[in-house]
Amino acid sequence: MSTPEQLIICEHCDCVYQKALLAKHQKTVCTRCGGVLQRHNGLTVEQRLALSFTAAVLWLFANFYPVMSISLQGLKNSATLWDSVLALSQGPITFMAMVAAISIIIAPAFQLLLLIWVLGFALTARRSPAFKLCMRWLETLRPWSMLEVCLLGAMVAVFKLAGMLDVLPGIGLLALAVLSLLMIRIAGRDIRDLWDMP
Amino acid sequence: MTPSSNDRPPIPGPAPVKTRRFGFSLVWIVPIVAVLVGLSLVVHNLMQEGPTITLTFKTGAGLAANKTEVRYRNVVIGHVTEVALSDDQKNVNATVKLDKQAESFTREDSKFWVVRPRIGAGGVSGIDTLLSGDYIGADIGQSSTRVKHFIGLENPPAITYGEPGKHFTLHTQDLGSLDIGSPVYYRKIPVGQVVAYALDQEGKGVDVEIFIHAPNDAFVSANTRFWNASGIDVEVGANGFALKTESLSSILVGGIAFRAPDYNPNDTAASENQRFELFADQAGALAPPAGKAQYLALRFDQAMRGLKVGAPVEFLGVEIGRVVAVNLDYDEVKRSFPVNVGIVIYPQRLGRAHEKMIKALQHDPNDEASAAKLIGTFIDNGLRAQARSGNLLTGQLYIALDFFPKAEKVAFDPTARPVVIPTIPGSLELLQEQLQTMVDKLNRLPLERIAGNLDANLVELRKGLTQFNARTLPGVQNTLAEVSNTLKSANSTLAEDSPQREQLTQTLDELGRMSRSLRELADYLGRNPESLIRGRPDNAGPMDLQGPPRK
Repeated sequence: MSTPEQLIICEHCDCVYQKALLAKHQKTVCTRCGGVLQRHNGLTVEQRLALSFTAAVLWLFANFYPVMSISLQGLKNSATLWDSVLALSQGPITFMAMVAAISIIIAPAFQLLLLIWVLGFALTARRSPAFKLCMRWLETLRPWSMLEVCLLGAMVAVFKLAGMLDVLPGIGLLALAVLSLLMIRIAGRDIRDLWDMP
Repeated sequence: MTPSSNDRPPIPGPAPVKTRRFGFSLVWIVPIVAVLVGLSLVVHNLMQEGPTITLTFKTGAGLAANKTEVRYRNVVIGHVTEVALSDDQKNVNATVKLDKQAESFTREDSKFWVVRPRIGAGGVSGIDTLLSGDYIGADIGQSSTRVKHFIGLENPPAITYGEPGKHFTLHTQDLGSLDIGSPVYYRKIPVGQVVAYALDQEGKGVDVEIFIHAPNDAFVSANTRFWNASGIDVEVGANGFALKTESLSSILVGGIAFRAPDYNPNDTAASENQRFELFADQAGALAPPAGKAQYLALRFDQAMRGLKVGAPVEFLGVEIGRVVAVNLDYDEVKRSFPVNVGIVIYPQRLGRAHEKMIKALQHDPNDEASAAKLIGTFIDNGLRAQARSGNLLTGQLYIALDFFPKAEKVAFDPTARPVVIPTIPGSLELLQEQLQTMVDKLNRLPLERIAGNLDANLVELRKGLTQFNARTLPGVQNTLAEVSNTLKSANSTLAEDSPQREQLTQTLDELGRMSRSLRELADYLGRNPESLIRGRPDNAGPMDLQGPPRK
């Protein structure tokens, strides 16, 4: 029997395989269900950490700079992510504001903080304190982080409003776009590699 | 292993590997760039951040935090970050974050006001704020002191600082229908507007501030007259009916017109903020300047029916003032009701006479005491006021100041204020008075006695006449008959065939002959003077035969 570090389970059909070392552009596929088991990840721990820091900065941008500003005949309005949450909270369904706040602000922020925490220790090939808790939370938070959804919603709004109003995408929207792409890259499933550390 | 022990090159062994404690991967450039971008944005924001000021408004209408903008020339120079009640809850304080470039708006005399849609008689403004919401308009100041707190204006200033032109102050008795924004006309072209008005310090007049836009401000000279062009001027004169107005809008919102008099030598352009008088109408404005007013009091003993406030006061036929008050008074001594008439005269309206008088008498027009003294000397010379009828139909009276050398002397009190000018009754009253005295005199005549005497005389006359008829007339008749006889006899004497006339003719013939013979004698003597001595010769010519025989 191999050690758990050398085995991998297909997440779709629970078939167990031995881990393989992959080169660029390679991936392993489950023979039973055809699901992807492993994908080559070109990022070192250090790169991930750097990208996490970048993502943190972008998160700040997205939250403190207007995502977009609209203007109509001199009537002007602009909103940051936090403004949109506030707007929802003043609406009829305050609960929605909480969901939005969790999915587009709080969840990504926690993800990033945990990533930085874990990766910072992984840089020296150590497990961080409360490593297990952090890793579990990272898994738990992933479905709650809906930056892509928010980005898509914002883009749709920009395009739909463009005909009626003057819509000006702000720095926040750009940051949001880059942030959501980065999150996919750094907070994906590959994070499980960290379990291999002693 | 020592190089000296053998000449072979040393066997290559593994070089010691040193691991960098902190390897620096190029990937760190990414977060660094992100941080740098973020920092640059933050720094840029900080650099852009201008001063924070507080504006105090009466109400917070139209002000919204983080939304209401501050604009200058419709360019955003800041925005309201907070709207809150003042500590005493009487005002609204709006905190405004200005941009860096708008730093100069913290000058002490900068102005801020809320731009909202306004509809006035002069037009509609701020219509764009219907959609965009109200914003705060700003006007840059010029003062060198900077402040953090401003009082917001309730109404937008009509003229902003950058506008080229000049401000002038007009002084008038009342505002009339003028308002901020009322136009100022020059030859019926609007060249400026009223920007402010306020009561003067004593509350006895109104100071109207106007602004004339460049380049037309050059037409305002030191001699320029301003008048209120509001409303309609209706004139009914000998030439008919005339209606004058500046423009339709000036009827509605009032207006001011200005012009310099036509004869206007040595005129200079007016300076900024120069003060002018605002006249009620064009005629008053373009008339020669009235100069200093002199108040005089008149006291009439007769009724002043037809004398109205505003009636003209004329001096030797020149209008120099007007009546300002007509009041009834009670005289305790005489137990009568005299009429006190207050008049105001403008000595400068006398024109050259006034100038010459001042020069000749070295009179200071501002010295009230000497003016009273001067009037005193005029009164000694017979200056009197008289109410005269200006219009026989309506009985309108006017006051005439005239010299009446025959008027009774009156004691003049030079200390009384206002100066009192003695009066004499008007010409109509004078006539009445004279008639009255005549009637009085007639009344005093002893008509009864005269009539009695006359009656007696008449009786005697009658007696005389009867006597005359009875006695004298028959005698007269006889005399007349005798005269008739005499005339008859005289007539017969002178008749053609009377013997007296015959004799007369003969006598005359005789006389004729005698004169002829005398002439012959004279002739003869002329020829023969010796005959006077010797006598007539015998051989006298036949001529002499005619003569009377001689010897």
